[in-house]
Amino acid sequence: MIISVVSGKGGAGKTTLAASIAQVFSAEFYDLDVDAPNAEYFLQPDFSKTTQVTQPVPVFSEELCDGCGICTKECRFHALYKILNTVYLTEALCHGCGLCEKVCPQQAISYRDASVGDIRSGYSKRTDNMVHIGDLMIGSTRGTYLISEMVKKIDGEKLSVIDGPPGNSCAAVAAIKPADLVVLVVEPTPFGFHDMQQTEQIVRQMGKNYLIVANKAMGTDDVDQFFQDRTKKAILTIPLDDRYHKANLQGEILSQQFSEIHTGLHAAISRELEKL
Amino acid sequence: MTRQIAILSGKGGAGKTSITASIIKMMDSVVAVDADVNASNLPILLPYFPQSTSAYYGMDIAKVDHDKCTGCGLCLSTCQFDAISQSEDGKIVIDSDCEGCAACAFVCPVNAISMAERKGGDWYVSSINNGHLVHADLIPGEDNSGKLITKVRGAASAIAKEKNIAYIVIDGPPGTSCQAISSITGVDLVLAVVEESLSGLSDYRRLAELVQKFSIPHFVLLNKAGFSSEVEGRIIQAADEFDGKIIARIPFDHKIPQALQSLQSLADMPEYKEIIAKLLEEMKLPLKD
Repeated sequence: MIISVVSGKGGAGKTTLAASIAQVFSAEFYDLDVDAPNAEYFLQPDFSKTTQVTQPVPVFSEELCDGCGICTKECRFHALYKILNTVYLTEALCHGCGLCEKVCPQQAISYRDASVGDIRSGYSKRTDNMVHIGDLMIGSTRGTYLISEMVKKIDGEKLSVIDGPPGNSCAAVAAIKPADLVVLVVEPTPFGFHDMQQTEQIVRQMGKNYLIVANKAMGTDDVDQFFQDRTKKAILTIPLDDRYHKANLQGEILSQQFSEIHTGLHAAISRELEKL
Repeated sequence: MTRQIAILSGKGGAGKTSITASIIKMMDSVVAVDADVNASNLPILLPYFPQSTSAYYGMDIAKVDHDKCTGCGLCLSTCQFDAISQSEDGKIVIDSDCEGCAACAFVCPVNAISMAERKGGDWYVSSINNGHLVHADLIPGEDNSGKLITKVRGAASAIAKEKNIAYIVIDGPPGTSCQAISSITGVDLVLAVVEESLSGLSDYRRLAELVQKFSIPHFVLLNKAGFSSEVEGRIIQAADEFDGKIIARIPFDHKIPQALQSLQSLADMPEYKEIIAKLLEEMKLPLKD
């Protein structure tokens, strides 16, 4: 059983909620916000293992390559360029598709594995389970690939929580894809509503079950109005409260510190998991 | 020569867009860019008048001509992105995971696969009170926002040149991946909006590393401050380590998100207007009269 936590807008409270849900259910945790991973500050895992994630990138044989440049023209990711008769690779742009090797008339191209990032794993006392943090190499284009590689390692039989990336691009799709249940976090501001509705559109198109948590709510009018057509989905409203804010910025897990959040999440999500 | 300033944070929700809108509202004349193309929020805070809409095409997508396809399956084993499958009746199906590499089209022995254009979104040019706004909307779930960011920035540069506007201000995306790079290549200055939290600190370090790699100078705005002098101290230390001068400090104040509810930015709040004015001065951006 996999629960993915996403929001569209950054800073809405994905990691806050994902860490709390993992703590409430003692679930295995996957931080898939790979280019700004922060869950470790809340879960404080005792890291015991680092796994490198690689993809194939081309290597050019100096002997065989005659500098014809066909590969540089065919590469759709503009990862190859030629100066005089030598072909060079911009590794950060390569998608490892294998086309250059196939188009080379001299069979001068082979592949080697290049790192796109790491998965750091360790046990968290706070959740009493394992935590896996995706660490994309800074500046890489391969975030979605790293997310997909991490998703492959999830054991769907066990209860796992995914902390997704912000935004509504293919990276978010990759983090939603494996989910049995999606938790959408909405910050009830004009920005938060706007971005969350785009995420909701993706989640609906993918036919996923989902629940909504409103976080950092000020007045209740906006939230009430927003939840009106979503009454069956809305499970919890967390107010903008200095106590929560302070705990959060120091890396405390809200469900561990505040019983109202623990109870609220436990009741609503247990009910949904039973249905599934 | 146009000067370009990008506002980034690493962490989402640190306050990039509110700060960017505040800066833009107080500037003399500016081309504003929203480079957070898959969660575009700057237009929500800036009253704008649409001028033109253009379609954006991302990477191509493979298309199968079922009349030619023999169902041999060579494309299946070639695709590195698990984007091709074969139904029980042998029909080849290509899904949205296709990254547009064209390897399948190349290996197909009967030329049944071609590469077709794939719409990734739209981008817009608008006018605002004191200049222009270029922003975009990626279709939810689509890829390659780096390319779209390059597109909107190119359009902004062209407008700045044509209208003789000296400044481009860019609202950047969260994170530190290729989208962040697309937003900072060639800029003159980065303003890092750092939220007072352990997450904010960690993401600032990643961002500062990236900015340093590109040899771009940066300033720091400490945001949502005042709850933990310990965390603030660590951010000040990190800023010092990466040569980021702290030029403003904005407290955690419920009035700020409350103002946001009615689409007001710091520039519209008397108690914060002064801080933004000073920020502009530090960044050598001319104030509106």
